[in-house]
Amino acid sequence: MSETAPARKAGTGPVVTGPVVAGPVAAGPVATTRRAVLWVPDWPVVAAMGEASLRADAPAAVLHGRGLVAVSAAARAAGVRRGMRRRLAQRACPEIAILAHDEGRDARAFEAVAAAAEDVVSGVEVSRPGLLMIPADGAARFHGSEEALAEALVTAVAELAGCESSVGMADGLLAAVLAARGSALVPPGESAAFLADAPVDVLPLAAMERRQREQVEDLVSVLTRLGLRTLAEYTALPVGDVLARFGPVGMWAHRVGRGEDVRPPVLRRSEEDIAVGYAFEEPAERVEQLALVAAHVAGLLDEALLEAGVRCGRVRIAATTERGDTLERVWRTDVGSRAGAFARHMTDRVRWQLEGWLSGTAAGPERAPLTSLELTAEDVVALGSEQAYLWGGVSGADSRAQRTLERVQSLLGADAVLAVREQGGRSPRDRVLALPWGQEAPAARRIEHPWPGQIPEPAPATVLAVPEPLEVLDAGGAPVLIDRRLGMSAPPTWVRMQVDPQDERAAAARRHPSSGGVGRRDDGPAWGLPQPVEAWAGPWPVVERWWSEDASRRACLQVALRRADGSPGPALLASFTGGRWVLEAVYD
Amino acid sequence: MITETTPDASREERLSRARAALAGVSTRVGAGREEWERPALPLAQEVAGLLPEGLRRGQVIAVSGATSLMLALAARASAEGSWVAALGMPTVGVVAAARRGIDLSRLALVPHPGAQAPAAVGACVDGMDVVLLGERLALSDADRRRLGSRARERGGVIIAAGDWTGAHVRLDVERAAWTGLGAGDGRLRERELVVAVTGRRQGGARRVRVLLDADPGLRWSRPGARIDVDEEVA
Repeated sequence: MSETAPARKAGTGPVVTGPVVAGPVAAGPVATTRRAVLWVPDWPVVAAMGEASLRADAPAAVLHGRGLVAVSAAARAAGVRRGMRRRLAQRACPEIAILAHDEGRDARAFEAVAAAAEDVVSGVEVSRPGLLMIPADGAARFHGSEEALAEALVTAVAELAGCESSVGMADGLLAAVLAARGSALVPPGESAAFLADAPVDVLPLAAMERRQREQVEDLVSVLTRLGLRTLAEYTALPVGDVLARFGPVGMWAHRVGRGEDVRPPVLRRSEEDIAVGYAFEEPAERVEQLALVAAHVAGLLDEALLEAGVRCGRVRIAATTERGDTLERVWRTDVGSRAGAFARHMTDRVRWQLEGWLSGTAAGPERAPLTSLELTAEDVVALGSEQAYLWGGVSGADSRAQRTLERVQSLLGADAVLAVREQGGRSPRDRVLALPWGQEAPAARRIEHPWPGQIPEPAPATVLAVPEPLEVLDAGGAPVLIDRRLGMSAPPTWVRMQVDPQDERAAAARRHPSSGGVGRRDDGPAWGLPQPVEAWAGPWPVVERWWSEDASRRACLQVALRRADGSPGPALLASFTGGRWVLEAVYD
Repeated sequence: MITETTPDASREERLSRARAALAGVSTRVGAGREEWERPALPLAQEVAGLLPEGLRRGQVIAVSGATSLMLALAARASAEGSWVAALGMPTVGVVAAARRGIDLSRLALVPHPGAQAPAAVGACVDGMDVVLLGERLALSDADRRRLGSRARERGGVIIAAGDWTGAHVRLDVERAAWTGLGAGDGRLRERELVVAVTGRRQGGARRVRVLLDADPGLRWSRPGARIDVDEEVA
């Protein structure tokens, strides 16, 4: 490995220690490692075709925005190219299948390829969907030669993941990526020569993230305009001048173009999810029956985890009904802190989930007898390598509180104890995500989105779960109306709130003839006395989801009331929608 | 504490020196506290004037008239690692709690404990540091007495909305004035509470003015909240 020596020499020099591209490519010279790169050509289209179950020789392309991002081999043969518009592509190849772009699908489907490669070599790095980085030294020794390793990799991926791939080996990142594109095995020490004649256009291939790739593409276009066509011409420039003229990106490209590595490969160590299931012989409906099965399945999962020497961070409980619906929830587990209790806790979780659903209190698909139950352990890590808190393990108070809440859950049911999180939203009610304690779910809405029309701070301390009717009256006692252009019919002067119907004084006042309550039915809302408005602000428009079924259009009003004795009263948040006023929240 | 002892010091001298050292320790740890008590939970600066001794463990505080005052009392303790449970408060504003400083990852809500309220509250008093109780919990007076003694035993703090017979401290919000609203313009900005503090240990009520939502835009020249003890009523 002659490549390592110049790299180290350069690293000790006074110039190279400057900043490199921020992010994963941190500063500091790294000795080049011999690596194999496995490349699946046109991965986005391969993954999309797999999902759409098209034949591998069908013409297809993946469209993102206005241009094609990946093109299958058959389509390329018909003249379709990357970057083409949809119409141009269809003109060149009328039978082409245009598939949607989905980064998540690309990454998901590539897991199968990574797993296939891991069958041959342990510890591969997924650089991006479509490109695998594999440390070659030890693996090549194990398989006898680098050719044998490449052959084993290609065979495994073709057999297990069902797609064509090519493998290249070289020292350093860029050389290995280039070698993979040509299925070349560059002998050790010849990477610099291998790269020298390559055009500068290949530099973006070594950038793994989109933002970084865009930066490098900008750099390449500048280099081309400057007349620097090949990597050799670029790397011949003095290092200091490159840094001064092109900044950290130029520095990164300079090092990569010389065949150096900017960081050691980050190896993936995957632990598969562990799943245990139970299929009911007779569809089960009674809770007692399910509780027994839950205990059994939880015990099985515990044994499976113990046997594999791992623990898990989450457990997914999935029950399938006779109708084919699936009831699925993910629960967080903190088993590390409470060894031995796993099976019992999981039994409780399963029982709660099924009980709540069978009794109809929890949301879910229509109730029907269950046909199978499956527990999947996710976030599996080897025992002993779990991540502890920064300052030691779970404190005594934390585990005590967890136990307490589980006790309350067993007392009242799983859904009675809520964990809350903040999420994005406009009204104070929408900004809260409440979940049963211990259950995992992503926040539905991002906080950092702009949320125009959000009610300004401070947040109200009492937020009604269901808005209560309210009367906002003008000076003459007529309801205040707001038109579509946010014009108020009159300034609000009085507010009438509902009172507790069990309040005896209010009930007596209602029965009194002066309230006009004679002969009125008793089940309507009980209104209190009108309270004068001290000050108010608004109306603020809140228009949400106009494109969907649950569209809402409201106008919000902050009102500060005055008591009868002249002292300041409570402040309210009221909203007007559909011709009616409702009380949303109280600033108490 | 380093005390140098000379061999020729008399017996009385050594004894008095030892007593002084002991007194020093007790003032440092907090004088006048009963032996069973653990250090009080910290209190946010805005409400520190209400309970000069801090949020003492094992006590019951009855708050009437303001949910945000309950949240403010629990905020600092929660931010410093205590666990908070809110029972029977289905309408508590979670965003307001978060803004007051309550750590939502250590907050559990039990909105509707129903008929099981005594058991659920008892479990929470056992395991959580601060327990907020709503007004409409199905608790009898006997339950409340039991819960109070349980809190004293376990070192938890109960902050209850509404009346609580035998509470150590009662905080009644007598006046809450918002500023910032106009006639159709502005927004709620600042709130001033006048809280009457009645303690079991003290004779009369003390009125304390608390500025709960200090608007940073308005108060930029005076960082922090203003707390004035208005008057002492005998």
